Amino acid sequence: MLAGFSFIITILSYVGAKILYRKKQSVFLSPLVICPFILISLLLSFHVSLETYSAGTQWITNMLQPAIVAFAVPLYKYRALLKKYALEIALGVLGGSTIAIVSSVMYGKLFHLTPQLLDSLAPRSITTPIAMNISQTIGGLPAMTASFVIVTGIAGIVAGPFILKWLPIHHQVSKGMLLGMGAHGAGTAQAYEIGSIEGAIASLTMIVAGIITIMVAPILVPYLH
Amino acid sequence: MYILKCIAQIGGLLGIALLGNKITQVFDLHFPGSILGILFIFLLLEAKIISLEWVETGANLLIAELILFFIPSAVGVVQYKQLIITNGASFGFVIFLSTVTVMISTGLLAEFLNKVGKGR
Repeated sequence: MLAGFSFIITILSYVGAKILYRKKQSVFLSPLVICPFILISLLLSFHVSLETYSAGTQWITNMLQPAIVAFAVPLYKYRALLKKYALEIALGVLGGSTIAIVSSVMYGKLFHLTPQLLDSLAPRSITTPIAMNISQTIGGLPAMTASFVIVTGIAGIVAGPFILKWLPIHHQVSKGMLLGMGAHGAGTAQAYEIGSIEGAIASLTMIVAGIITIMVAPILVPYLH
Repeated sequence: MYILKCIAQIGGLLGIALLGNKITQVFDLHFPGSILGILFIFLLLEAKIISLEWVETGANLLIAELILFFIPSAVGVVQYKQLIITNGASFGFVIFLSTVTVMISTGLLAEFLNKVGKGR
């Protein structure tokens, strides 16, 4: 009963936030920011356990998997564009992924976080399912990584528009790469708001960053401790 | 009609994702099955075994609502209340600084590569 209710409230808060966000484009109204805030407040005030909530919303989370598979469609549609910029994307994403891992761990050390938290932070710049997988492999806490990924998404969609405005970054490919590398799925959604080419590049960047991070993180992270 | 089409296509994409999971499990591969799923659909489209119309409507809907699928995981932070109360500010700073670092360096690197690439 409560589980079913969790499902309905999650969907309703999402639809509501989306309508509000469309009217007033403030990042604080972005569903990724406002929905978890509302839902956590509800769980705490009505003393609903996370287990109950998760049981009811399991299928929402499960849909992330076919949603990732769905990215095959924009990749296929824009394959000519991707071929044209293959080298730029490969080198840019390799650089971006390395900086993401190194800067996460280094800044984390600066703030005296425990090694387990550093490992949980390392894969935070890529999409949730892959990030959780890597976190597990290198000895982090996958659930903590999931929340770091979400915070990354929020930070990215807050900072992204300012960075695009202030820095001399004009090429559609650069804009897509910046958003896809910096803020995974959330950045990709924002890139689609700019244009379909930016969106396609961002989605490819997100996927390539995931694959590169799978290979780089387990080798790089032990050296950073 | 649109709804039926979406349900059928999303069902197909889900099936491919589950197949990908099964394969990574059986062969003990250390990456998510959905990445394999992307490859499957891409190759099926490329080989013209399936046409774009078979998956496009459902795929576009899933991508448009991508953020919804992250929300329950975001709510999951509630289980680390204590860790967040003690370290929350540090997490916020680290993630924000690192994200800005990644965005600026990736953006500038991409812009540079694109300028160099134009000479090809």
